[in-house]
Amino acid sequence: MLFVVTVTFVLINSIPGDPVRILVGPSADAAAIEAARARYGLDQPLYIRYVRYVAAVATGDFGTSIHYGGVAVTVKIFERLPVTPLLLASSFTLAIGSAIPLGIFAAKNRNNGYDHLARITSLIGVSTPSFWVGLLLIIVFAYYGDLLPPSGLVMPWADPASVEGAASRLDVLATAASHLILPSITLGTLQMAAITRIERSSMLEVLNKDYVQLARAYGVSERTILRKQAFRNAQLPVLTVIGIQMTTALGGAVLTETVFNINGMGNLIITAVRAQDYQLIMGTTIFFAIVFVLGVLVVDVLYAVIDPRISYGGGAGE
Amino acid sequence: MLAGCTSDSGSETTSEGDGGGGETTAGGATETAAGGSDATINIGQALNPVRFDPITQLSNPDALVANRVFSQLYTYGEGTDVVPNLATSMPTIERDNTRYIVEIVDNAMFHNGDPVTAEDVAYSFRTPIEEETPLLGIFSVIDTVEAIGETTVQFDLSNPYAMFQHVLTHQVVPEAVREEDKEAFSTQRPIGSGPFKFVEWEESNYVTLERWDDYWGDELPDVAGVEFTPITESTTRVTNLRTGDVDVVETIPPRLWETVESTEDTSISEIESVGYFYVAFNCNEGPTADKRVREAIDYSFSMDDAVDRYIDPAGLRQYGPLPGQMVEEWDMPLEEWMEIPNDKDVEQATALFEEAGVPADWDAKIIVPPDDNRENIGLSIANGIKEAGYEAHVERLDWGAMLSRAYTGNASDYNIYVLGWVRYPEPDDFIYNLFHEDSEGVNQGVYYKNDEVMEQIQGARESTDRDERQQLYQSAISTLLEEKVHLPAFNYKNSYGVKSTVSDFQVHPVSPQNPRLLTGYNNVSVDR
Repeated sequence: MLFVVTVTFVLINSIPGDPVRILVGPSADAAAIEAARARYGLDQPLYIRYVRYVAAVATGDFGTSIHYGGVAVTVKIFERLPVTPLLLASSFTLAIGSAIPLGIFAAKNRNNGYDHLARITSLIGVSTPSFWVGLLLIIVFAYYGDLLPPSGLVMPWADPASVEGAASRLDVLATAASHLILPSITLGTLQMAAITRIERSSMLEVLNKDYVQLARAYGVSERTILRKQAFRNAQLPVLTVIGIQMTTALGGAVLTETVFNINGMGNLIITAVRAQDYQLIMGTTIFFAIVFVLGVLVVDVLYAVIDPRISYGGGAGE
Repeated sequence: MLAGCTSDSGSETTSEGDGGGGETTAGGATETAAGGSDATINIGQALNPVRFDPITQLSNPDALVANRVFSQLYTYGEGTDVVPNLATSMPTIERDNTRYIVEIVDNAMFHNGDPVTAEDVAYSFRTPIEEETPLLGIFSVIDTVEAIGETTVQFDLSNPYAMFQHVLTHQVVPEAVREEDKEAFSTQRPIGSGPFKFVEWEESNYVTLERWDDYWGDELPDVAGVEFTPITESTTRVTNLRTGDVDVVETIPPRLWETVESTEDTSISEIESVGYFYVAFNCNEGPTADKRVREAIDYSFSMDDAVDRYIDPAGLRQYGPLPGQMVEEWDMPLEEWMEIPNDKDVEQATALFEEAGVPADWDAKIIVPPDDNRENIGLSIANGIKEAGYEAHVERLDWGAMLSRAYTGNASDYNIYVLGWVRYPEPDDFIYNLFHEDSEGVNQGVYYKNDEVMEQIQGARESTDRDERQQLYQSAISTLLEEKVHLPAFNYKNSYGVKSTVSDFQVHPVSPQNPRLLTGYNNVSVDR
């Protein structure tokens, strides 16, 4: 984590620009600029700012945001915290839920029309920028279709009294779902495409293994082979890709939240970058790094669950 | 210069004159039926507000909200004329234009029930100087400001300042409340004396205001409240208007203009903004310090075509450093100025570049802010320079980098920059900040040297004789245009997409005045 903090600090301070100029506005004179710089400690030499920052981060203090007039960075992060994980969870559920059956189906029907369709779909999904997908969905389903809301997000656990038109918990859940559909498709398209591709190729690989051929020779039905022998063994590479997709999904969340006006971490990062708010950029970056590390950890644990040959116990090997 | 980015001006008022000459109806609430409807108007903002304390300066998105909450000492009428709001009449000017005495109404109240006092007014103007907030640059002309009676405030200036009446459009805050907790005042409990009370703000989500039924003005708003929702992506914002999630959206970009116009039950309300977007040359260093090079660049491309392609219909071509309304109000020679830009003539451009001895390997550095439209203007210039036989590059910089580099005067940072200025509707604000030598490195990076022009700008700033000022500005601007210090480019329109359910919506040229929900000439209502 020290590495992340250091690299982020160096990069942020290497880019041209001056957050104080943005803060104080166009009519500020030199004295006002200097006063603001001193107020936020930006008048200190870089190494002093670095040492101070590392020491503060070690105690959980990520500093204060210039853009938000001195509000603690951690406060801003915690304000936005539930939103992005909800969006990520929703989009991954959609992506995994559709990609795995699609991949298996394509593998089972290798080289026929269904397979080609699945491959072309996933190729388009991988190649299409998420903001474009988002705008297209908004235009089709919100602007012309008027079927789904074009922006905002309602949390499923929100108080019904605070949600417009909601009388019960069920109404809140329906409203939350309607708000989640378009951003989840937008964010999940890339994941779905990548997972479909790996699911298909991984299944094909397993289906060509000797033990599967042997099972076929014994007359085991294709359905049983898929369900009992091939599926589980094919999931390890898929899990790896899902882990990798988490990193791209965090990036995708930034664009998706902007397009759909969702106030999560992605939107916060965009705000921080636009305002060149050093502390906020560093705080959100470190937060994303922590989320990424935790995500990788979860994938590692799941490896062991899926494949009993993988053990993190440190015991003697065979 | 940050387009639409800063302003401490503009507010709702019910006590304006008729918009024609500063006449006031302030002083005395009349018995008016409480509000016309129970509907709340939903407004989609283009940017997120972040704080609402006028003392620490309001950016444009902040002002859109805060100007409904706070009253001002003076405000604007239907045009760009300054009219009284909390003041009872226009100020009395004494002591060779350096003393302004203002009487305020005696019945105005803040939302917490406290009276608006002369001391609150003095505090509102004194504190930005004492706290060295970003307003310091504008307010530093005030030497002292004090309450000299219960309803009388006296401003003593360190020198005559012709646009001081526009500075007096600042919002008035309650001293006691703000001093109690400045942070809470800015974000949780902004208390003003405007027609709407602040209710709640969830950052990046919404701001809600409600009609203040005890408003001291002549009339109450016809809407029960206002909800502002920031929707930064313009396609999403326009879609929200189409679906009826919002009643009004701010800022229609050029590419969506036709879409909004053709949307059922929706129209665009627009008016030319008080702004000016321009191409500026580094006259301090590098080839552009030579007038022939600036002239050559003007020959190398067509600004008319660039504006037609990238700005129209969301903006319009501009031929001088003053926006349309001010050109008209100040009787400036627009026809004459329109003759100054060169028609595209690449051969003439090449000849001038050669005559000026520009080295064949010159690579013009054009810097632009993070704005597609201004980047496109920069690219048009770069293409023109390339056609004339030289290299040119456009660098799109973030705001912080742009502001750090655009005013250095170093040719290594820029030869040309594309920026804009949006603020007070007063020639001094444009001309002094963008051309005077005292603004070098602060608000301008042209470093143009011409003693006569500088004296004219300074003279116009210190005089309150309008005819004299007109002559001085006319002469200075004509010289600046002839000398190609700037190539005036375009001006935006303040544009709002409005549902047909909204009545009496009018757009004001001073951006933060909008959305005008209640004034002496309009009172917005929503029929749902």
